[in-house]
Amino acid sequence: MDSIKYQTLDANEAVARVAYRLSEVIAIYPITPASAMGEYADAWAADGQHNLWGTTPDVVEMQSEGGAAGAVHGALTAGALTTTFTASQGLLLMLPDLFKIAGELTCFCLHVAARTVATHALSIFGDHSDVMAARGTGLALLASNSAQEAQDLAAIGHAATLLARVPVLHFFDGFRTSHEISKVAVLEDDVLMQLIDPDALRAHRARALDPDHPVIRGTSQNPDAYFQSREAVEPFYARCPSVIDDMMARFATLTGRRYHLFDYVGHPEAERIVILMGSGAECAHETVEHLMAQGERVGVLKVRLFRPFSVEHFISALPSSVKAIAVLDRTKEPGSVGEPLLLEITSALVEATARGTRASLPRIIGGRYGLSSKEFTPAMVKAIFDELSRDSAKTRFTVGIRDDVSGSSIEIDQSFDIEADDVSRAVFYGLGSDGTVSANKATIKIIGEETAGFAQGHFEYDSRKAGSTTISYLRFGPRPIRSTYRIQRAQFVAIHDPEFLERRDVLATAMPGATVLINTPIAADRIWDVLPIEVQSQLIDRHCRLFVVDGYGVAERAGLDRRINTVMQTCFFALSKVLPLDEAMRHIQKSVEETFGRRGPEVVRRNIVALESALEAMSEVTLPTQISTTRSRPLSVPADAPDFVQRVTRLLIEGHGDALPVSAFPPDGCWPTGTSRYEKRAIALDIPIWQPDVCVQCNFCSMICPHAAIRTKVFSPAALEGAPAGFRAVPESFDPELEGLLYAVQVAPEDCTGCGLCIEVCPAKDRLQPRRKALVSEPLAEHRERERESFKFFEGIESAPLAALPIDKRSAPLRPPYFEFSGACAGCGETPYIRLLTQLFGDRLVIANATGCSSIYGGNLPTTPYTTDRHGRGPAWSNSLFEDNAEFGLGMRLAIDVQAGRARSLLTAMRGSLPSPLVDALLSAPVDDSWVESQRARLEELSRLLQNDPSADARALLDLIHHLVPRSVWIVGGDGWAYDIGYGGLDHVLASHKKVNILVLDTEVYSNTGGQQSKATPIGAAAKFATAGKSIRKKDLGLLAMSYGHVYVAEVAMQAKSAQTVRAFLEAEQHPGPSIIIAHSPCIAHGYDLVNAPAQQRRAIESGVWPLYRFDPRRVDQGEAPLQLDSGEPHLDVADYMTNEARFRMVELRSPERYATLLQAARDGVAQRRALYEQLSHIHLPPEKHDG
Amino acid sequence: MADLTTTWLGLTLKSPLVVAASPLSNDVEAIAAAVSAGAGAIIMHSLFEEQLIEEQMGAHRFLDARTDMDAEARTFLPDVDVFSMGAEPYLAQMEKLRQRVDVPVIASLNGTTPGGWTDYARQIEAHGASAIELNLYEIATSADISGTAIEDMQLRVVESIVSLVKLPVTVKLSPFYASLPAFVRRLQSAGAKGVSVFNRFYQPDIDLDELDVDRHLVFSNSSELPLRLHALAILSTTTPISIGCTGGVHSGGDAAKAILSGAHVVQLASVLLEHGPAYIEVISHELNQWLDEKGYTSSAEARGVLALNSAPNPHAWERLNYVRILDGWKPRTSRR
Repeated sequence: MDSIKYQTLDANEAVARVAYRLSEVIAIYPITPASAMGEYADAWAADGQHNLWGTTPDVVEMQSEGGAAGAVHGALTAGALTTTFTASQGLLLMLPDLFKIAGELTCFCLHVAARTVATHALSIFGDHSDVMAARGTGLALLASNSAQEAQDLAAIGHAATLLARVPVLHFFDGFRTSHEISKVAVLEDDVLMQLIDPDALRAHRARALDPDHPVIRGTSQNPDAYFQSREAVEPFYARCPSVIDDMMARFATLTGRRYHLFDYVGHPEAERIVILMGSGAECAHETVEHLMAQGERVGVLKVRLFRPFSVEHFISALPSSVKAIAVLDRTKEPGSVGEPLLLEITSALVEATARGTRASLPRIIGGRYGLSSKEFTPAMVKAIFDELSRDSAKTRFTVGIRDDVSGSSIEIDQSFDIEADDVSRAVFYGLGSDGTVSANKATIKIIGEETAGFAQGHFEYDSRKAGSTTISYLRFGPRPIRSTYRIQRAQFVAIHDPEFLERRDVLATAMPGATVLINTPIAADRIWDVLPIEVQSQLIDRHCRLFVVDGYGVAERAGLDRRINTVMQTCFFALSKVLPLDEAMRHIQKSVEETFGRRGPEVVRRNIVALESALEAMSEVTLPTQISTTRSRPLSVPADAPDFVQRVTRLLIEGHGDALPVSAFPPDGCWPTGTSRYEKRAIALDIPIWQPDVCVQCNFCSMICPHAAIRTKVFSPAALEGAPAGFRAVPESFDPELEGLLYAVQVAPEDCTGCGLCIEVCPAKDRLQPRRKALVSEPLAEHRERERESFKFFEGIESAPLAALPIDKRSAPLRPPYFEFSGACAGCGETPYIRLLTQLFGDRLVIANATGCSSIYGGNLPTTPYTTDRHGRGPAWSNSLFEDNAEFGLGMRLAIDVQAGRARSLLTAMRGSLPSPLVDALLSAPVDDSWVESQRARLEELSRLLQNDPSADARALLDLIHHLVPRSVWIVGGDGWAYDIGYGGLDHVLASHKKVNILVLDTEVYSNTGGQQSKATPIGAAAKFATAGKSIRKKDLGLLAMSYGHVYVAEVAMQAKSAQTVRAFLEAEQHPGPSIIIAHSPCIAHGYDLVNAPAQQRRAIESGVWPLYRFDPRRVDQGEAPLQLDSGEPHLDVADYMTNEARFRMVELRSPERYATLLQAARDGVAQRRALYEQLSHIHLPPEKHDG
Repeated sequence: MADLTTTWLGLTLKSPLVVAASPLSNDVEAIAAAVSAGAGAIIMHSLFEEQLIEEQMGAHRFLDARTDMDAEARTFLPDVDVFSMGAEPYLAQMEKLRQRVDVPVIASLNGTTPGGWTDYARQIEAHGASAIELNLYEIATSADISGTAIEDMQLRVVESIVSLVKLPVTVKLSPFYASLPAFVRRLQSAGAKGVSVFNRFYQPDIDLDELDVDRHLVFSNSSELPLRLHALAILSTTTPISIGCTGGVHSGGDAAKAILSGAHVVQLASVLLEHGPAYIEVISHELNQWLDEKGYTSSAEARGVLALNSAPNPHAWERLNYVRILDGWKPRTSRR
C-alpha cells in the first residue's frame, strides 16, 4: 500500500468520484440531497475526465427519475457499466425498472442519499423510508455510515455486483452523510482497477443484447412458467452475501480498511446491544466506547448489508452473551408489527434459535429514531441502553421526540455528554449570502489536508431563499470524528451578523470559558450595552471571552461588499488557535488563491487585502461583571398572534421545534394558512420610502413586488381617523372614478427584502432632482418603527369598492393580495405572478402546486404565505408531488365539479319550495367579481331558508351550498415540472375539457435544486447538465398546447408588460376549458442582479426571445385567428439580450466559437418562431359546428 | 505605385494603414480580410481593466453569494472553474489573430490602476503581441485633483508598463491636455515609443422624455480629422517618437492629410465598421493614387511635409489661424 492520500470531502463527492470512474453511462435527474453526485459527474464529463477505461462517461440528464431508470436499464441491457444517483421520490419513481434490473440479474450499482419520502409533508432531510420502500425490488441494500465508508462501499458495490450479478443499492444518510465534510482517505485508480474482476466485466459485456448472438429478454410469462423462473434467481441471492464479504476482504488487502457485512463494536461479552445502520451507528459506536470505558457490557452491531440478509453472518457477528437487543429503524411503517430492520433481525434470531445456532432468543425491542434528520445523540443511545436494562422496557418505542399522544417515546438525560476535551468544537451563525459556509468548508480543508488532524463540518440551512440563516458545526480533533450530531457544547461561537443576537439563542451551545466572536460595526467599548439581557447574562455566567470584528467594514474597504468569509475565517484561526497563526494565514492565502484564482486576479487580491486587514479590525471586549441592560430579545412573533402561532410556530421560528411534543402537531399535515405575517424577519438593510409629492399613483411598485411588501390602496378619507403620526396619504388623482378618495403607498418594513425592484420600476421623478423618484431607498433602521406602525394602520383600512373599475394593470394591484411575505429570493420573478393570481381570484382560489421553488416558498414551515381576508376566505393550497401536479389539480376540479353539480341538482329539485327568482339567480352563469359578491349574498339567504327546512334534500344542499360559488382551480409549477417530469400529465390534462388553469412559472431551469437544465432552458445558456451551453432549442410548450385547438394559451412577462399579463389571467379564467399561461420568471440562476430584471425582460421581448401572445379558441367562432401577438416585430439583436446574463456569458467566455454558433442558432430560432407565429396570427379557421 | 512601407514603434509595416482598436478584432475573418486588403498592422480591441475587474467581481459576488446558502442547491450556476473571468479570452483571440495574419498584432490596454495594467501587459507580452497600445484617459470629475496630478499618475502607469515589458509601448491620448507636446515629451522620457491622437469617447446626451443621461458611441467622420491633423503637425516637430493618427480618417485623401501632417500610421475603425474590412483597399488605392499624382515615390517621403516646421505657412497651424477662421465665419441666416 502506498502512503494514504487524504482529502476533505462530503459523501456525495466521495461517492461520485468512485461511481464516475467505474461507469460508462450515467443517467441522472436532480433531487435533493443526491443532486450533487450527478452535478459532479456532469462537470467532470464536460471537462473530458476519463473513467478507468480511458473514456469519458456519457452523462445524460433525463426528464424524471423514471426516465433515468429506464435509460439505465437500457444501457445495462446493452452492456455498458452504468450508474445513477437518487433519493426519496426519485427512488420510488425508479422502482419499476429496479424490479426489472434485479429480476434480470443485472450488474448495477445505484447510489442513494437516503431521504424521507413525502407523506403528510415533504421533507428534504434524511431517513431510510425511501430505501426501505425499495427492499422488495431484489437489489442488495448496502449501507454506509460516513463519507469514508460511502466512498469505500461504493467501490465495493460496483465491484461486487459484477461478480454477484445481484444489483446493489448503496445508500448513506441524506445531509448527515451526503453533505457532511470530513477527511477521507481517497481511493486511487489503481485500487479501483484491482477491485474490478476482468472476467466478470467481460461476462457483463458478453451478456449485452447483441444481434450477432441474439437472445430475447423481457418476455411475458404465464402461470406455467413465471413462478419457477422467478425462483431460479435464488442461488445468486444465496451467494451474494459471501461475494460481497469476499470483496470487502479484497478491499482490505488493498487499503487496510476491513468492512464486514455486520460490524460489531463493543464489549466482547456484551449483554445489551443496539443494532442499526446508517450514520446513527457512528454515534452509537462513540457512545458504546464511552460506556465500555465506564465498565458497561454494551455493544453496537452495524448492519452494512441489509439485503440479502445473511443470517449466518449476522449470528456470527453477534456476541453470544447478548441478553437484550434494541433494533433501531430510521423509518416508520405505520400499522406494521415492527419496522423493517426489526422484523429482519427478529426473524433471523428466531430462525437461528430454531436451528440451534443460538441457544436462546434474547429480548428484542424495536425503536424508531431520526426521521427526517431528527437528531440522534449519545444521550439517546444511552437512553436506549437504559431502556434495555429496564424490566418493563417498551417493546416498541421512539427516541428523540416527546410522544405525548401514543406514549412511545423514551426519556433522555439531556445532560449526558461524551464529547472529548481534545476535540475543538465551533459553531457559526451566518447569513446564507455572507459566505460563512464556504469559509468553513475552506477551514476544514486546511485542517483536513494540511495537518495530521481530523475535521468534520456539518451545515444547516433554513428554508428561506432570501435572508436565510446558516449554522455551521465544525469539529477538529486528533482522531477520526464519529459525532454524527450537532455540537452541544462549543468552545467557539461566531455570530456573523449582529441581527442573530436579536433573533435566537445563539449562545445556547457556548460552554463555560467559550470564545465568542461577533461581527458588528459597533466598537468593542460600546457593544456591551447594546446586547440583550439574555446574551449579557450568558456571557457573564459562562465566563466567556468576547471579541468583535467589523467584518462588513473590512470587506467593504477591500471591495468585497458584504462578503465576510475571508475576514471571519482569519479571525476564527486567530482566536481558536487550532493552528499557529502564521501557518494558518499562509494556508488561508493559499486557499484563497486556489478557490478564487480562476475567477481572476482581482478577486484574489481583494480577498488577500481582507485577510491581511482582518485582525486589525478585531478586538476583545472587556466584560463587566454585571449585566447593564433590562432589554430582552424581541418577541419572535407579535404578542397578538393567534394561539397556534404562539404555541407552535413561535418555537419553530426560534429554532426550538425539536422540543415540541407530538400533540402539538396536526396529525394529517393540515396547517393554518397566513402565518408568514407573524414572522417579522427585517432582513432588508434599505427599504423604499414613499415620496407622495412625486408619486403618479401608477401602482407599478405594488405590481412588481415579489413579497407583497409594498402595497397601494384607495380608501375613504374617513378611514384616516386614528392614523399614526407617520402615516401618509394623498388624494387619489389617477382615476376619475375614484375622485374624492385617498391613495397611499405603504411598505411593510419588516417584510421587505430590499430587492429594489419597486424603486427600479418607479417611473416618477422629481423634476428638480431627477435622482429622487417617488420611492427612495433609505436605511431600515431609520424608518422601521414609523413604517411598522403605518403598515399596521394601512392593513386595517378598508379598501374603497373597486368593482366599478375594470380590472387592469392599474387596478389589479389595488386589490388585496392573498399571498404575502414568502421566503422567496429577493427579486424573485415567480412570486409576482402568484400574488397577482391571488389578487384576481384569491377568495375562491384552489391551487395544486408542483414541488419546486413555488412549493418551498409557498408551503415550507415554519410560516407560510397564503393568507385570508377579513371574511376568512383565501386560497386553499396543496402540494402532492413533483410529477403529478397537473393530474392532482384535475382531480380537484373533478371533485369540485361533482359537488357543485350535486348542489345545483338539489337546488333545481327544490325549486318548488324556494323563491324562484332566488333559485334562478343562484343558478345563473358567473360573470365577474360583483356576481360572486351577489351570489354570496344569495347563498346567505338560501342558507337561512334551508335552516328551517327539515327535508333530507335541504340538509344535503346545506352541506354543499359553498360550491355554488365557483372555484378557480389553478395548477401551478415550474418548468422542471411542466416541461419535463410532469409533461405527460400536463399534456393529458390539456387534452380534456375540464376547466383548469395551468400557470407555468418558467425560470428556464430547475431553480430549486440549483439550476439544472430543463427542456425550457434556452439554447446558448449554461446550466448544470449543460455546462458548455445548451445546444437544443427551448421546447415550445405553448405551441404544443395550441395544437389541441381548444386550450387557451398565453405567454406573458409581467415585469415588463403587466397589462397583457392581467388580460391573460382574466381570459384564462373566463375560458370554459383548460388554459395554460407560460410566465417568464427571472431567477437568480440566470446570473444577474434581479433588480435589472424588468429591463432584461424587456430585452427578452424586444429581441423576440420571449414573444408575448394569447391564443384564445373562442376567437375562432368570431371569425378571427385564435392567436394574437402581443409583442411587435423583434428589433433588438438576441446578442444584446444574452450578453447581460451570466448563464450565456459564461458560455461565451468558455468558448467564443461555440457561443457564436449557439447565438446564431438562437437568432435563427427567434426568426423562425416569429415567422411561424406571424403566419398563425393570420390564419382563419372554420368555426366548429356545435350540435344543437 | 508608391511604396507605402512605414516604420512605427520600430516595426516595419507594409502600409501605414492600420486597423484601429475596435470590435473588428473579435472577428478573425474580418481581420484577415482587412489584411489582405492592405492593412499594415492590427490593433486589437481594448482589454478594459475596469471592465474585466467589474466582470470578475460581479461574477464573483454573484456566484459566491449564491454558493452554500441553500440546503437543496450548492450553487445556482455550473461550477465557475469551467470558464474564465480573466484576460484569457483576450489572449486566446490574440493568438488566433497572430496565427491567421502575417502583420504585427498590437494589443490595446485600457486601465485605471498601476497594479492592474502590469499583470495584463506581462501576459500580453508572453502571448506574442508585437506592441502594446495603452489607452490613457481620465475623465476629471473632481475639483480636488489637478491636471498635473492626473498627468503624473498616467506617467507612472506608462513607466510601470515600460519597465516590465520589452515590447514597444505606444500611448493613445485624449485631446484634453493643456500642453500636448510637453506631455508627450514626458511620455517619451517615461519610455513610450509612440503616441496616437486622439481617443474618441462615448457621447453623453440628454433624454428629454426620461429626464436622464444617455450614452452611446457614434461613428467618426471626416470632420473630426482637423483636430488630429493639428496635433500631428505640432507633435511631429516636437517629438522623435512614432505618432499615429486615429479618428476621422474615412478616405485615402484623409489618410494623405494625416501623413502630410506627420503621422507614421493612420488608424482606421469607423470607416471599416461602416463599409466592411475590405474597404481598406479603397482607401489604400486612393492614397496611392494621390501619392502618384503628386509624384511621391513613397508615403514616407510625404510624411510630415506639412508639419509645423515645414509647412509653407507654419502660422496656419498656430492660434492666428483659429482667429482667421472665426473671422471668416458668418451666421447661417446671412448666407445666400
